[in-house]
Amino acid sequence: MTDTATRPEHGPSAGDPLEVAFAVNGTAVRAAVDVRESLLDVLRERLALTGAKKGCDHGQCGTCTVLVDGRRVLACLTLAVQARGRAVTTVEGLAAPDGTPHPLQQAFIDHDALQCGYCTPGQIMSALACVAEGHAGDDEEIREYLSGNLCRCGAYPGIVAAVRDYADSARSTEG
Amino acid sequence: MSAPTGRGSDARSGPGGAPVPRIDAYEKVTGATRYAADRTPPGLAHAALAVATVGRGRVARVETAAARAVAGVLLVVTRFEEHELRPAGYRLSGGYGFQSLQPLLDDRIAYRGQPIALVVAETPVAAAEAAALVEARYEAAPAVAVTLDAAGAETVGQAAALPQPMFADLAMGDADAAFARSPVRLDAEYDIGAQHQVPMELLGTVVEWRGDDLVVHECTQNSGAVRHGLARQLGIAPARVRVVSPQVGGGFGQKTWLQSHVGPLAVAARRLGRPVKLVVDRTQTFHGSTFRPASRHRLRLGADRSGLLTALVHETRQQTSRHDLFASDFTSVTARLYGIGDFRGHQRLTRTDVQTPGFMRAPFEHAAVFALESAVDEIACATGHDPVALRLANDTGSDPVTGRPFSSRHLAACLRRGAELFGWAARTPRPGSMRAADGTLVGWGVAAGAYRASAGPAVARLRLAADGRIAVEVSGHEMGQGLRTAIARTVALDLGISAGGVRVGVGDTGEVPQHLTAGSWGTATALPAVHAALRRLRSCLGAPDEGPLDTVAAAAERAAAGRPEAVVEAVSLPPGQSARAVDRLRAGLPTPAGPEYPGFSAFSFIAHFVEVRVEPAIGRVRVPRVVSVVDCGRVASPVTAAGQIRGGVVWGIGAALRERGEPEPRHGGFHHADLAEYLVPVNADVGRVDVDFVDVPDPLVNPLGVKGCGEVALVGVAPAIANAIHHATGRRHRALPIRVEDVLAPEDDRNGNCP
Ligand code: FES
Ligand code: FES
Repeated sequence: MTDTATRPEHGPSAGDPLEVAFAVNGTAVRAAVDVRESLLDVLRERLALTGAKKGCDHGQCGTCTVLVDGRRVLACLTLAVQARGRAVTTVEGLAAPDGTPHPLQQAFIDHDALQCGYCTPGQIMSALACVAEGHAGDDEEIREYLSGNLCRCGAYPGIVAAVRDYADSARSTEG
Repeated sequence: MSAPTGRGSDARSGPGGAPVPRIDAYEKVTGATRYAADRTPPGLAHAALAVATVGRGRVARVETAAARAVAGVLLVVTRFEEHELRPAGYRLSGGYGFQSLQPLLDDRIAYRGQPIALVVAETPVAAAEAAALVEARYEAAPAVAVTLDAAGAETVGQAAALPQPMFADLAMGDADAAFARSPVRLDAEYDIGAQHQVPMELLGTVVEWRGDDLVVHECTQNSGAVRHGLARQLGIAPARVRVVSPQVGGGFGQKTWLQSHVGPLAVAARRLGRPVKLVVDRTQTFHGSTFRPASRHRLRLGADRSGLLTALVHETRQQTSRHDLFASDFTSVTARLYGIGDFRGHQRLTRTDVQTPGFMRAPFEHAAVFALESAVDEIACATGHDPVALRLANDTGSDPVTGRPFSSRHLAACLRRGAELFGWAARTPRPGSMRAADGTLVGWGVAAGAYRASAGPAVARLRLAADGRIAVEVSGHEMGQGLRTAIARTVALDLGISAGGVRVGVGDTGEVPQHLTAGSWGTATALPAVHAALRRLRSCLGAPDEGPLDTVAAAAERAAAGRPEAVVEAVSLPPGQSARAVDRLRAGLPTPAGPEYPGFSAFSFIAHFVEVRVEPAIGRVRVPRVVSVVDCGRVASPVTAAGQIRGGVVWGIGAALRERGEPEPRHGGFHHADLAEYLVPVNADVGRVDVDFVDVPDPLVNPLGVKGCGEVALVGVAPAIANAIHHATGRRHRALPIRVEDVLAPEDDRNGNCP
């Protein structure tokens, strides 16, 4: 390969595949990724995990929200290589193996906290983190800490009710 | 995997009509729902678009060498041949496209953001990189016109330019003379900026050739038009094209006609012999599809001293593109919201250098009713009447345009119930007279709204499976409005079975003909077909025409007798339509009837009550609570209908306080072409929204008594907010959106005339 000589020292260049290993929803995965590829594109296009959605690809809408080591991140602004060695959780990883929804998912159903459903995976991942961060004390706090997740259908009142419901029951089980 | 539904869903829906939870909520909260761009067929290649950076002119040369050199690039196309791609035609001229112009066929640039090259590569990043490397040289026109007032924008009278009865100007009585005679007169101009639908789902398409057959997964509210439009573009039989759009991630009118990128994508896929996916870049969606055009309204509203409205002249001007006339219809709602005998409308269109604008939720009613309901509030102030009482006094039972009755009209009930739920009686009328403990100004405002109750023909196919479950295929699309839930609930209520036992398929041209699902006619169109198919199923099973039917037993009986599964199909037509409408449905053409039907007119109605808080020092407006009461006939699906109304209220908050597509006057296009700049409401912008329904079946529109609710939800929210701001501050706002700078701007003489 003649062009290796011209390649900068500090790493692989655009377009070259790089093998990365990480965990998704508790399963170890390996993928040969383009170093420029976002975690979102790798989840969706290479790993067939299309729960995380692309609403802007620019960190402006929240539809791509996933958890990396328990913290919410925007998968469109996260390079896939940054996930190396980490544990990624997507909306597909929340329900029990028998299909029983996670209590937060159930709360979304109960409060009809969705319409088209396109923002819903991002809302749920964000809300899980919001509660875990201790930012679901009251409705106003929930609204504030979920304002990075746009819902054009305007399901916000239901989303707030669902998150409050889940946060309250999570607190009472802890307490 | 089982699919548990919400609490209470196990209760079999009784004849009383228990609410049914959204039937696809489980798959949506678990990420299982597949939207168009979630398809990843084997061998998939990825496309991206390069777009024009000038607002008008021609492309002199497109440089693609750098793009082609990107690793993984498979194809770069700057011009398609006439024999492989033809225009789909403009929807108002019997075609299927959202505009007449098909990019990539010639060197014309009609608007900034028009595609100049299609790139296909192995990965989305490679495609995006290559598209960014496409360089073009342009011969740009010296100036562009993108606003209503721009030099070079050309204004035409709509009735003269489009000489068809549906576009004619409305006139009843002698409005000008009646206005001149009126003791109380308001003459005001209202300005509504351009808006973008921005559904959260990006425009996304996956095209795949299977031999000579084309399968298209497309997020569309109109898979029938996409099918027929593509067939025309590619010169193949419509039967060779299947368009699949079972779940759309929000439409709001953006996805109503064939988009310009789909035909090119199909040709690229054929050339490559591979399936191709395009997810349109968010910024490109602001130019790559329709938007709500800017409009301006001059209203002359007359009243007598008792507050009875006596005359209305409504003159409008709406933006369209240079290449198409996007017809407006502002006056058919303002002529009917109240019983005003003397009315004159005149509608004009202004040609500008933009992609052809189009429908966005309550496409004309949002703007028209903002103008009228703001004006009515001024009349209430000027005559010293309570705004609710004044509206009640001007209610009418018959359609002022035709003189015939409304099929049903419960606007008064909406106003009364809304006032009660809101606590309107505690309002003190003087602006600025209500304050919160922290000094914030409190304002309470009200406005009414109406939206035509349209409907079209539909086809429904019902299948009783061997296990007793019912599968329904019907004309219609699910964009989140809850159509599938309404269908499942209708079947469940009719047969006395659980809605969970009903499988609903929509948006697939491979099953039944697909209509444009928009204009709040989706439910009122699909349900009558389902209702008719249920009658057929009952007769096919030898069951009585109504009452509970044990589908499990019926299926078992058939199986035991060695008979095949029962499959029935039915076609429904709205009142007054002939079977010719079904031919149009099968050809992917628009079909809806209404609001005028033989012998009556049909509208949905709504009343919104809004509280605003205005911080006097910084001019910030918040909307802590809204009460909305709706007359949409019988509520077909209480859970999802309430969601629709809440969503409409959120839209109204955005329209009133945030959203405006800012045109770029020198270079064309829109400035604020992303989600950080084009401000849609976020969670923190929305407070409490209480929704109630009159829920009285309409006796005439269809056997189920159902009118639409998705569009009417938005109509009247913005004026209710503007009226509430006036009540808080004493200041009238006649342009949308109302931003901090408008609230803080020094007083001018355009202020309201309320003491
Ligand atoms: S897609 Fe990641 S924030 Fe919008
Ligand atoms: S449910 Fe449609 S965008 Fe949130």
